[in-house]
Amino acid sequence: MRACSLQLSLLGGLAFFASACSWSRFDDITKNSPVVLLEKPGSMNGGFGVSLSTASHEGQTELLVGGTVNVSGAALYEIGQEGAPGTTAIDTDYCSGHGSICSLSSLTAGFANASGPDRTRPLCFAVGSGAVTTKQGLVMRCQDFTEYTLSMPQVAQDQLAASIAQDQPRDFPMATDRSDDPVLLASLPEKHLAWFYPAKSTEFSELLVPSGVDVADPSFGQSLAVLNVEGGRVLALGVPGKSRVLLWKTDGSAASSYIGCLAGASGMGRALAGGAFRIDTGDDLVVSDDSHVQWIEGTTLFALPETSSSECVLSGTIPGALIDWFDCGSTQNVAECEKSEFGAALAVGDLDGNGDNEVIVGAPKMTVNGKESAGALLVYDVNTLGVTLVDTKFISSAEAGDELGRSIVTPHVGKRDIIAAGAPGHGKAALFYCSSLPSSYADSARCR
Amino acid sequence: MLLLLALLAALATGAWAQGKDASGKRLEAIRSEMDRGQGLYLAGNYAGAAEVFESGYAAYPYSAFLFNAGVCYQKQNDVDRALAKFNEYVKVDPNAPDLDKVKQRIAALEAAKATAQAAAAAAAAAVVDAGAGADAGVDAGAPPPPALVLPSGDDQNSMKSLVVIETEPDGAPLRIYQRLDPNAHFTLGAAANPGWQEVVATRAPANLTLDVGQYHVVVEKFRDFNASEADMAVSPGHVHQLKANLSQGKFMAFLRVTSNVIGAHIWIDDKKKEHPLWGDTPHGELVPGGKHDVLVEAPGFEPFLSSVDFEHGEQKELEVRMVRVNYGVLRIDSAAPELKIRLDEQPKGTWRSGQEPLDVQFESGNHKLTIESEGRKTFEGAIVVPRGQILPIHAKMIPKYPRGPAWTQAIIGAAFLGGAIYAGVESNHSYNELQTDRRNGSLDGSDSRATRGKWFAIGADAGFVVAGVLGGLATYNFIKDPLPESSVSQGKLLEFEDPLQARPVAWRAPRKGLQQDVAAAESGLGLQFTPSASSTGGGLFFGGKF
Repeated sequence: MRACSLQLSLLGGLAFFASACSWSRFDDITKNSPVVLLEKPGSMNGGFGVSLSTASHEGQTELLVGGTVNVSGAALYEIGQEGAPGTTAIDTDYCSGHGSICSLSSLTAGFANASGPDRTRPLCFAVGSGAVTTKQGLVMRCQDFTEYTLSMPQVAQDQLAASIAQDQPRDFPMATDRSDDPVLLASLPEKHLAWFYPAKSTEFSELLVPSGVDVADPSFGQSLAVLNVEGGRVLALGVPGKSRVLLWKTDGSAASSYIGCLAGASGMGRALAGGAFRIDTGDDLVVSDDSHVQWIEGTTLFALPETSSSECVLSGTIPGALIDWFDCGSTQNVAECEKSEFGAALAVGDLDGNGDNEVIVGAPKMTVNGKESAGALLVYDVNTLGVTLVDTKFISSAEAGDELGRSIVTPHVGKRDIIAAGAPGHGKAALFYCSSLPSSYADSARCR
Repeated sequence: MLLLLALLAALATGAWAQGKDASGKRLEAIRSEMDRGQGLYLAGNYAGAAEVFESGYAAYPYSAFLFNAGVCYQKQNDVDRALAKFNEYVKVDPNAPDLDKVKQRIAALEAAKATAQAAAAAAAAAVVDAGAGADAGVDAGAPPPPALVLPSGDDQNSMKSLVVIETEPDGAPLRIYQRLDPNAHFTLGAAANPGWQEVVATRAPANLTLDVGQYHVVVEKFRDFNASEADMAVSPGHVHQLKANLSQGKFMAFLRVTSNVIGAHIWIDDKKKEHPLWGDTPHGELVPGGKHDVLVEAPGFEPFLSSVDFEHGEQKELEVRMVRVNYGVLRIDSAAPELKIRLDEQPKGTWRSGQEPLDVQFESGNHKLTIESEGRKTFEGAIVVPRGQILPIHAKMIPKYPRGPAWTQAIIGAAFLGGAIYAGVESNHSYNELQTDRRNGSLDGSDSRATRGKWFAIGADAGFVVAGVLGGLATYNFIKDPLPESSVSQGKLLEFEDPLQARPVAWRAPRKGLQQDVAAAESGLGLQFTPSASSTGGGLFFGGKF
C-alpha cells in the first residue's frame, strides 16, 4: 500500500512537472513576438488601420494609425526603440473632432519637423482637412498636442468651406518624403487639384497640370509620393483610373515644373512610394498598377526637363528610368495572387539596416493559410542584381477579411526600419519586427 | 407341489449356509484368541497372555485355554492361580490325553508350594529365635525366607492346542497316537506300532487339548465305513480341526487364506465369479485334495489369482499380499452451484449442486487439479490421487472479488487519457504552428492559438494526472483482493465401495466333488456335522489347521 502511494505521488509529481513545462512554453513563444498588434483605442469606432504615417525625430519614432476616411480620427503610438513598442495609443485626438473640425484624409503624412505658425515643431502629422480655431485648411497636429492648419489653394479652401458648411467632408490625400524637413504634397481629387508645401514652409504652391493631360478621374491624387533627390524633390501623383502618374519637380523653392506623365498597365499609379534603394543616391519611385510594381530611378526623373506635353509615356521609354519591375509571388502560406490586389499599398524601408531599402508591397486580398482576404505583405529585395521576393509577412492570427496590407509604412527603429501595416477589415494594425533578410537583427529577442 | 419343494429346499439351503458361516466364524474367533495369547506368551508378556487365555476360555470354554492360562501363571510364579487353572483343567476335561501329566504338574506345584510354605514357617520361627537371642545379647542372624521353587521346563512349546476332530457321520471311534520316536512309522492295522503311544481313544466329535507334537489319527471301522487315518502335526497355541468324511474314504485338504486386507473376497475354482464367494479373508475351510484356483479380490486392490495344489489331508495357508490398484478416485463436491473439474488440464466432468459428489477416477500419484466455477476463483493445486482409495474433496470456491469499481476507474481513466492525448496533440499542433510562424516572423503575441494551446496543454496535463491517478487506482483495485483463494479440503481416505458387501452367504466351491462335500459338511451347525445322504462304505477325514 505504501509502495502504491509512493508510485501515485511520483506519477502525480511528474505529471505536474510536465504540465508546468508544457503550458509555459506558450508564454515563452509569445513573449517578444515578432509581430505586435496595436491596441485599437475605444474612442475609434470607425475603422482602424485604414491609413498609416510615421515620423521620426532624434531617435523617437511615432506612428499614426488612421480610421475610416472622413468618419473617424487617428491614434498616435510611440514605437520607441528596438523591441519595446507602445501598443497603447498615446494620443487619440488626431482628427477626432473633439474641439476642432477635422475630416481624416485617406493618406496622412508625417513630419520629423514641421513648420508651424509660430515655430518649427517635431513629430507632427498632416491628418486631414478642417478648421482649427477659425482657420480652415489642412489640419496639422504635433506630438505636443499643438494643432494648426495649412492654407490651401482657393479652390480647395472653398471646397473645404463648403464641405464644412454642408457637413460633407472631402478627402485631401497627402504625402511627404522622409527627410528631416520634408515637402508636403497634397491633392483634392474632386477638383483634380494638387499642391505642395516646400520644406520648412507653411505656404502652398499649386502644381499645374498642362492642358490636354487627361486627369478627369476621381482617382486623381489618390496616390502621392515625394522623392528626395539631389537638387530637389520629385512630386508624383497617381491617377490610377487613367493608368498614369503625373510628375513634377521642385528645387526646394516654391517653384515647380511639370516633367511628364508615366503611363502603364491598368491601374498604373494605384500606389506610389519613394525611397533610396542604393546608398548615397536619392529616392527612387515605386509605382504599382493592378498587377505589377515598377522601380523607377528618381534621379533620372528629376533630370527630365519641364514639359507641357499632354502625352504620357511608359517608364521604359525614358532612358535609364525603369530599373526593374516585378509582380506578385506566392509562398506556402500566402496564395491567390491574381485576386490579391497586389500593390494596393507600397512602402520602402531598410528592413535589414544595411542602408539599402526594400520594397514592401501590400496584397490585402491575399489568402493566408487558407483564410481568404486575410492579406499579406510581400517584401522584395531590390539591388543591382534585380528584384527578389525575400519574405512574406502576415499576421499569425489572421482572420479572413483582415485585408492586411491596405496601408503600409516603415517606421524607423534604431538603425533600421520595421514594417507597420494596417488591416482595416477587422480594424488591426501590426508592427513586423523581423524579416528573413540576413541582418544583425535576426538574433534579437523578437527574431530568434 | 414342486414350488413348495423348491421353497423348502431354498430355506434348507439358507439355514445350512448360516450354520456353516457361524461355525466358521466361531473357529476363526477361537483361532484369533489362541494366536493372540500365544504371541503374548512368546513375547514374554505372561500376564497379558494369561488374561487373553482367560477371556478366551470365558467365550469359548475349551480346556486348552485353561491349561495355557495355568502355564502363564506358573511362569509368573503365581502358584495358586496356576494350580487353580490346572485343577480346573483336570476337572473340565477328565478324559484329556495328558491328564496324568497335568496331575503330575499339579502335584509338583503343590509340593513346591508346601516346601515353600514350610521354609517360610521355619524362617519365621528363626526370626522369633533371633529376636530372643538379640534380647539376650547374642547375635544370631535370621536366615531369609526360602524362595518358591516351581517346576520349570516350560518353553515356547508348552502351550497346548485345541484339536477338533469330527467325522461324517458322527460317532465314529477314533484313536490318536503320539509319535515318541521321530523315525517311527505308523502302520494301520498293525498289532503294534513301536515309537507311537496311544493318547486318546474316543468317539467323534471330539475337542481335545493336545501337546505340541506329531500325531496319527485313526478313525476305526464304523458301521459300513472303512477305517481311515491321517497324520497331524500339533503346533503350540493353535486350533486344529480334523474332519473325516467316511463316505469318500479320502482326506479333505484344508486351505486357509489370509491377506493383508481383512475381508478380501475369495473365490475357489471360480475365476469368473459366477457363484457366491468362498469366504472373506481370513478364511479357512476344507477343500478336496488336488489343484485349486484361488481368486482373491478386494475393492481397490489388484485381483490375486493363484493355483494351490493339495495332497489329500494336506493343510495349507495361503498368505496373500494384495497390492492396491494404480488408480484412485477423487470424490468432489462443493457448496458452489457448479464445478468444472480438470485433472492435468484434461476435462473430467461437471458437478452440479444437488447431485451426488462427482467421482473422478484417475491414475494415482501427483496431479494438477483445476476446479472452475463461474463467478468464483479458480482453484489450481497439486493433488495426490491415492492408490485404490477414494479421496473425498470438498471444494471451497470463493467468489471473485468484484472488479466493477476497477473497471469503472480504468474506463474513465482511459477516457481521460484519450482526452489528454488529444489535448496534448492539439497543444503540440498549436505550438508547432506558432513556432513556424515565429520562425518566419509572423507570430503576433496575441495569437489566440497560444491561449488555445495553453488550455489544451493544461487540459492534457490535467487529463494525464487524472488518468494517472485513476489508472493507479484501477491497478490497485485490480490487484486488491481481500478474499482468500479458493481451496479444497481433503477428507479421510475411503475404501472403494464393495458391491459384495450385502453378498449372499457363500456356499461351497463349484466343483462337483467339493460341492457334494460341502453340502454334506454344512448341513450341521458349528462343529457338529450331520450324516449325509451318502452311505458308501468308506469314511474320510476332513481336517483343518487354524
